[in-house]
Amino acid sequence: MRKTHRIGAAVAIAASATLALASCGFGGGGGNGGDDASGTTLDLLVPSYSDNTQGLWEDVIAGFEEENPDITVNLEVQSWDNLESVIATKIQGGEAPDIYNGGPFAGFAADGLLYDVEEVTSPETFSDFQESFIANEQLEGTTYALPFIASARALFVNNALLEQAGVAAPPTDWDELLDAATKVSALGGGVAGYGMPLGSEEAQAEAAVWLWGGGGTFGDESEITIDDPSNLPGAEQIKKMIDAGATQADPGSTDRSPLMDIFIQGKIGMQVGLPPTVGQIEENNPELDYSIVPIPTQDGSPMTVGVADQLMAFQNDGDKQEAITAFFDYFYSADVYVPWVQAEGFLPVTKSGAEQLAGEEALKPFLDVLPDAKFYPSTNAKWSAADAAFKSLFGQLQTKPAQDVLTEIQAQVDAG
Amino acid sequence: MAITVAAPGLEPIEAPTPSGRRRTYTEDQVPLGKLIVRMLAGLIVLLVFILPYTIMFFGSVKTKAQIRSVDPTYFPTEWHWENYLNMWSTPETPLVQNLISTIVISVFATLLVLLVAMPAAYYTARFAFPGRMVFLFLVIVTQMLQPAVLTSGLFRQFVALDLIDTWAAMIFINAAFNLSFAVWIMHSFFAGVPKEVDEAAQIDGAGRLAVLFRINLPLVWPGIVTAIVFTFVACWNEFAASLVILSTAGNQPLSVALTKFVGQYETSWHYVFGVSIVAIIPVVVLFMLIEKRLVGGLTAGSVK
Amino acid sequence: MSRSRPGGAEPRTGRPRQGWRDTVAALPWIGPALILIFGVVLFPAVVMFVNSTRDISISGVDKGSVGLDNYVEVFSFPYFWPIFVRTIVWVVVVVAATVVISLGLAQILNKAFPGRRIVRLAVIIPWAASVVMTTMVVYYGLEPYFGIINTFLVDVGLVDTPEGYGWTRNPDTAFAWSIVVAVFVSLPFTTYTILAGLQTVPGEVLEAAKMDGAGPARTYFGVVLPQLRSALAVAVLINIINVFNSLPILKVMTGSIPGYDADTIMTLIFKYIQNQHKVDVASALSVVAFVIVIVIVAVYVRVVKPMKEI
Repeated sequence: MRKTHRIGAAVAIAASATLALASCGFGGGGGNGGDDASGTTLDLLVPSYSDNTQGLWEDVIAGFEEENPDITVNLEVQSWDNLESVIATKIQGGEAPDIYNGGPFAGFAADGLLYDVEEVTSPETFSDFQESFIANEQLEGTTYALPFIASARALFVNNALLEQAGVAAPPTDWDELLDAATKVSALGGGVAGYGMPLGSEEAQAEAAVWLWGGGGTFGDESEITIDDPSNLPGAEQIKKMIDAGATQADPGSTDRSPLMDIFIQGKIGMQVGLPPTVGQIEENNPELDYSIVPIPTQDGSPMTVGVADQLMAFQNDGDKQEAITAFFDYFYSADVYVPWVQAEGFLPVTKSGAEQLAGEEALKPFLDVLPDAKFYPSTNAKWSAADAAFKSLFGQLQTKPAQDVLTEIQAQVDAG
Repeated sequence: MAITVAAPGLEPIEAPTPSGRRRTYTEDQVPLGKLIVRMLAGLIVLLVFILPYTIMFFGSVKTKAQIRSVDPTYFPTEWHWENYLNMWSTPETPLVQNLISTIVISVFATLLVLLVAMPAAYYTARFAFPGRMVFLFLVIVTQMLQPAVLTSGLFRQFVALDLIDTWAAMIFINAAFNLSFAVWIMHSFFAGVPKEVDEAAQIDGAGRLAVLFRINLPLVWPGIVTAIVFTFVACWNEFAASLVILSTAGNQPLSVALTKFVGQYETSWHYVFGVSIVAIIPVVVLFMLIEKRLVGGLTAGSVK
Repeated sequence: MSRSRPGGAEPRTGRPRQGWRDTVAALPWIGPALILIFGVVLFPAVVMFVNSTRDISISGVDKGSVGLDNYVEVFSFPYFWPIFVRTIVWVVVVVAATVVISLGLAQILNKAFPGRRIVRLAVIIPWAASVVMTTMVVYYGLEPYFGIINTFLVDVGLVDTPEGYGWTRNPDTAFAWSIVVAVFVSLPFTTYTILAGLQTVPGEVLEAAKMDGAGPARTYFGVVLPQLRSALAVAVLINIINVFNSLPILKVMTGSIPGYDADTIMTLIFKYIQNQHKVDVASALSVVAFVIVIVIVAVYVRVVKPMKEI
């Protein structure tokens, strides 16, 4: 490793020399780079949740810099599509951001890149997180990430379509769901009973809805178990739904977001959604007559898929601990944090935030199911590979036998 | 003097006798029936080529909700021209700066390519020297590398150069990766200029640079134009490297800025389409200005 | 410097005895190009080769050498050979269709008719627009429920499900539509190159053919096409390289489809990077792709000899 690095460095220097030669008189373009000699600079890399995201962060940063005049925060917002390749490139180039908002942290933790977040938050801030979320960020006693925002899933039901199809009440278990969805699909005219997005966008979420709903599991922090007998009932049920014509056409390659657009416009009977879906309906089709109910499971017992995105602090040179601490303490203070979560329409992960938002009508159905939430095994360093395998392979359920698909996903996880 | 200028890659064509009359369009006696057939064919071509961009344009004047309507209409039912105003001040990205970035990067990268490629193309077309083929091969090899995989090396390199997040970095990168086609295209045009032209000029005592600029350049102008267009378009739409090299929103070109409209669960398609339309316009205008030279210029140079 | 003789054609005949000094003399002319290429491209290319033999973690940390393991992973991937074949099909079909259609288009654009300038400008647009955006718009038009192309097909009765057909949801149709888009965006450059080539067909030759009583078809195949040969040869070469390396079209059109039934080598590289975060395997596959495209180009150059002049 050392040696190739040195060769790499030599080539880089040679390249630099030739370029420097070529660039006489060619000053740096529009870069406003260059650290302030006096203060600390924090690089913040975040994904875009909605068209609000950039503005929300700018407000946070403006407020933070006013309170901490010696700290400058550089914001970089990327789309979810590009986020992970951008951070991988930065890490490879030795230029990791200081603070990163993303999904699974286990890979970074395994490479020893992250701070123990207890070192970069004040005890007050740290103790304000809800324990169930914090537990999800811990690996062998160390907390590697701070929960950032959370979501839980629930079934969005188009009341009008169900009524039209003669379904009396929203389904609570699989049999009722199949029955209701088949009836709604039979209405015709492009209406689908159940919106099932198994396309690459978020296949792992729909997979979790069904496999966990049938008593399955994706594994834990030490083992990923996709090819597990307990996952088979859920996968088989998906096929049953598809074969019965209870879903939209081509569920295997339908992405979640465009499908939700169709639900919002009243062409789909039922689909699993998230808290931000409420805001989307409000914005795009406020007339929609819908209700939010718990996700139907095999036996009707309550279950939901919980997801918490994270904030991580990269160690880099190890000299920005104080600045990062200041930033986290500022961001998680209820006055800053709550408006952020509210604007993006997610669930808060802090106790103080939860108290403030407890009265929110829109969030209530999700807060209700949150106690029954199961989470991805994201503390497992292999979860990333499993996530990718679901995205690229799970949709094959539409055409291949359930067992084969689970086996193939497991094989890809084990190979990664 | 009978001079032939070849199209890219064409061998020089023996210049025909100067008396030969060019078949020009206006001189053609085209029967009306034939003309109508041609116009119909032209119309079909026109429609096919603008169809996707018409869809794009219609999308750009719809609202976010209308674009995702499950009852799509062929024509917008309401025309939201304000999209074209609002998109410049959206919170997602500073679009004005993105446009400036795109222009600066593309213009300077194209100039740099011209500056560097022209002498190389001229010399390799005119003079044999050991290593000439190696050089031309080396040039084309750069085109065969997959940009998506090169970005991580590029990132490290420009961090080392302390040029990360600067326009200069992207100007160098764009110039380097578009050099090959420019060299090739210009090379084939220079090769089409008969060597006697050079010899005559050198006997007159003109220096080599003077021969290049004063004698050859006017003759290969169409080739230069082709190379300019090719390079400019490629720089204008470059994405993979800009994404990792330019991290400050204001430094990023339009191609990267477009991705900012893609949210986790929602995309502002009307702005994506609007920006795309705006991004096409400068390039089409550039074409309009030089279209005559691109094709017509060849004719002008071919037989006098 | 003044010793080397001018003249592009001459030195080739005499298998010259030029030496080292001629190369040095060439340096001021080709030097800047070499500096730019070496300065920018060499290091990332080296990194690509080095990465292909390393173990790089999903977060991007180099864990040391693994020899040729990444190459083993590339070739032992069960879908590799189908994807390889599909890549060749992709290149051959797209380039062939592009050339045939471009020849026809250039003929139309070369004829005089009112409004020709507008038509010529319209043909340019796909070149001016970014490939990603052109693809996005076609994708959007083809979507069930939302897409205007699907609506049209339903309205004229070609598709009988009211929400349209999932063109982009099935590997075969999505791949076919990708080919359509790829041809569409390759047409402007190819057409214009041919159009420029057509200008150099001397009028006398056409007149002579006409006087010999040759019909339009014979004139075209016997006189015009041979004249276009070298212009076409370079255009095809550039197209081969571009189409082989093309990622955005397939990425957008087939992106939501599970499995590997619509992938080419380029989209597979992308999936390794983007989904699986295996920069090391992606680098190995890129090296393989690099070798493949060099072989293709070498074979092409051997057979077609587009670079006689070069």
